[in-house]
Amino acid sequence: MQSWSPFKPSTFAGLTHYQELFFYDEVFWKSLWNTVVFMSSSPIAIGLALALALLVDTRIRGRGVYRAIIFISYPLMTVAVGIIWRWLYDEKVGLINYVLLSLHLTQRRIAFLDSYEWAMPSVVVAAVWQIVGFFMVILLAGLQNIPPNLEEAAALDGASAGQRFRHITLPLLRPAIFLCLMIGVINSFTSFDLIYVMTGGGPNYATEVLITYIYRVAFVLSKFDYAAALTIVLFVFLLIVTAVANRLTGGEAGAVDAAE
Amino acid sequence: MRPSRAVAVHATLGAVSVVMLVPFYWVLKTSLTGENIFQYPPALLPRVMHPFYYVDVWYYIPFVRYVINSVIVSVIVVAANLVCNALAAYALTLRFRGKRAIVALLLSCMLIPFQATIIPAYLITKELHLLNSHLGLALPLCSTIVCIFVFKASFDAVPRSLIDAARIDGLAEWRIILHVMLPLSTSAVATTVILSFIWSWNSFLWPLIVIRNQEMQTLPLGLSTFLSYMENTTGALYAFCIMVLVPGVALFLLEQRRFIDGLTSGATKG
Amino acid sequence: MRRTLNHIVIGVLALGLLTWPVAAQQKKLSLLTWNIPIYKEKIEGWIADFKKIHPDVTVEWFDKKGPEWGPFYQTQVVAGTAPDIIDTQGAIWLEYAANGGLVDITPYLQRDPSLKDYYNPRFLQTWVYEGKNYMVPFYVSKTLLFYNKTMLKEAGIARPPQTFDELLDAARKMTKGEKSGLMTLNFDWLYWPLLAMNGVELLTPDLKKAAFNTPAAVKTVEALAQATADGTINKIAWTGRWVEPNNAFASGTVGLYQAHAPAFFYVRGGGPWVNGDTLGATQMPGGFAVPNSHGLGISKSSKYPDLAWEFIKLATSEKWAYTFGKNFKLFTGTRVDSRLMEELQKEDPLAASVMKTQLEQVDKLVATWPLGKDAQIKEAFYSEFQAAVLGRKPAAAALAEAKRKVDRLLAR
Repeated sequence: MQSWSPFKPSTFAGLTHYQELFFYDEVFWKSLWNTVVFMSSSPIAIGLALALALLVDTRIRGRGVYRAIIFISYPLMTVAVGIIWRWLYDEKVGLINYVLLSLHLTQRRIAFLDSYEWAMPSVVVAAVWQIVGFFMVILLAGLQNIPPNLEEAAALDGASAGQRFRHITLPLLRPAIFLCLMIGVINSFTSFDLIYVMTGGGPNYATEVLITYIYRVAFVLSKFDYAAALTIVLFVFLLIVTAVANRLTGGEAGAVDAAE
Repeated sequence: MRPSRAVAVHATLGAVSVVMLVPFYWVLKTSLTGENIFQYPPALLPRVMHPFYYVDVWYYIPFVRYVINSVIVSVIVVAANLVCNALAAYALTLRFRGKRAIVALLLSCMLIPFQATIIPAYLITKELHLLNSHLGLALPLCSTIVCIFVFKASFDAVPRSLIDAARIDGLAEWRIILHVMLPLSTSAVATTVILSFIWSWNSFLWPLIVIRNQEMQTLPLGLSTFLSYMENTTGALYAFCIMVLVPGVALFLLEQRRFIDGLTSGATKG
Repeated sequence: MRRTLNHIVIGVLALGLLTWPVAAQQKKLSLLTWNIPIYKEKIEGWIADFKKIHPDVTVEWFDKKGPEWGPFYQTQVVAGTAPDIIDTQGAIWLEYAANGGLVDITPYLQRDPSLKDYYNPRFLQTWVYEGKNYMVPFYVSKTLLFYNKTMLKEAGIARPPQTFDELLDAARKMTKGEKSGLMTLNFDWLYWPLLAMNGVELLTPDLKKAAFNTPAAVKTVEALAQATADGTINKIAWTGRWVEPNNAFASGTVGLYQAHAPAFFYVRGGGPWVNGDTLGATQMPGGFAVPNSHGLGISKSSKYPDLAWEFIKLATSEKWAYTFGKNFKLFTGTRVDSRLMEELQKEDPLAASVMKTQLEQVDKLVATWPLGKDAQIKEAFYSEFQAAVLGRKPAAAALAEAKRKVDRLLAR
């Protein structure tokens, strides 16, 4: 609520920032929506990770190698990977278009990151690629902790593989899945590098998420006061979402409480 | 397992591995050749390989010094995370007024991007006279809310009766944490160690802001040396990324067994 | 468990004590440069030279790369520990100057007769806001047109384009499959020559209102959008920043590339095909160019602005300007540039052919309007412009919307 620049003494700005935000700032709403879309990629990543975890949990040769390969994308520095993805997706010389054309799967090159429609899905794929190995490790840990005798007993009782998965594995994995979900949601609000390096939020705000927007407002446009207002609104929004989620899941959002 | 099923599993995992490795392969290839990645048609195999870029990295930046700094900071972060988060989580297992509000506050704060709070964080660190120190580097990462909930989930699973018994025996609260809660939550401890280590090891923006001294730089900061504007340093950049990655992957490969077992019980107990 | 914890606690305390910083109390200048860590030795040379004159002053030096430079500097400003001397790129200084964050160095420049005509007046002029000079050139560059001679020849084009229509025609002829005809850098206002050569003005001369919403501008943007849609203009032109456009041109799949001089060294590093027979450099049609220079200035909060100015003078002195130009094969916006040019011609004719463009037609610099809200106006204009060239909006609608946004910003 102050007009503030690092160079000037602050003055009271009333509610003008909030007025600007709610009535004029389309990019804020766009980036909020994009954040929600980006967030919705976590369930996909978790689903994939779960499938992979089930596969590398089987007694096959070289499962350690598979695990390492799938995990390696997580600790790799995003700056390097971002540029590689940028190239993979390139319209003219990118590998994906090259493969698609060579296999005659498409006649026209696709401008993945440079077109409004494709940019967000493309970023989501890269984000899923980056996090899936990490989720897999967490889920794998959960899987290995399920006592094998439970499954065996169920198998003896004649439960099919699908039934065993639904009634034994899945419930016991719930905490692990929850942890993944939590990390996924946090990631969608705080992971900056990948989007920044790949698209910088573009084209035309197609991949602008809250964090890239706040960065832009504060450090590119030097509107610190406005960035602060954005953060406050974001915070209130998060409070509401958390409260609602908490109520809907019967107090379980964020593993909150059994005791209450 | 039936052989046919094994083949199917291998085929699936093989395909997935290829997809997962493509970007990584290009990073590795570029670090060994310095080729322009945008060339067309894409060069699937490296033509001339040499380790020059790795040598460059070694000499361009004080690699060992940076590694040492990174290790020190990571150790502080991991230790502080264990202490702070376990204490906070224990508090949250007790009943008190306003608990719901605090939990909601924590959950919401968890999602606020660090870029948004970096200036206040800097000012606080400055007031504490911790700029340019390892402790200052570690400070914002010293408690992570996710890990509080990891601990809390684990503590909640400890049978009430056990805690009540301990109280009757006259154990002080901190002793209850130390002798009852923590031994039953080894997995939460492992989870916290791993998560906080990764976050600290790759932390970039904060060290960049808070460090004014070349001697105190952490490993990820070496990066900017290889994102030069003046010349194409792509090969060295990618060599650097591989060198930063190696400790993490080596740890993963060596400790795979423990790594996964460690995570195990924490996740299920929660 | 307990023992481990004890060890951890003791460890933390010990580390904390060991690393507690020692507060230093002496005259201190700090210098913040922009992504030139490879110049470390020479900057240490400046500092050593400065110490000879002022032994009582210590100078600390930081270097940050593009995306972190702003967050770092602005955080330091808020904390009251802003570096005294800063090296900024492009128009970032404007925002700071307009908000009173920089020291007006006009008096220093006037006071010192030895500096008369030392800095190139046209470049010096690009750091003037409301009649006051805020920076001096550290190294300068402006945009030019690179062309891939091989691709031009294959398309049967005899000479580089001289007009906007020729530019797009030539580009269209070279476009095929993975090959595209034209690309530009787009950060800051670097794409502006494309509009300037069609007579488009951003603002009215008094800088109070938008002036770009004209039929000529609509036609230009439509032509650019059409060329982008049919692949003549590589889409990286509108979405890439630095690494991607340079690498794409270096891969030999782009015919014409509008970029500023430092791009040459990047391109040469990544393109084995680059030599005097294959790479040409010329002015954009009409000779229009956007400067993208680095200047040195002084933070308002500096405790020792006089010393800071002394330091800047030293860093841009003949000795060090020459060293810099020699080291990077770039120009410094000072008197030493002509000597650098002569020597470059002997040592590296290809680089010289590129760098020659930097000393020509400096009267045709465009997009140098001194706007306090430059960054916001840039954003408002480019978001609409980009929507139009990427085919998401009709040109007329986009420019009308851009005008509305820009006027609104200027009115406040």
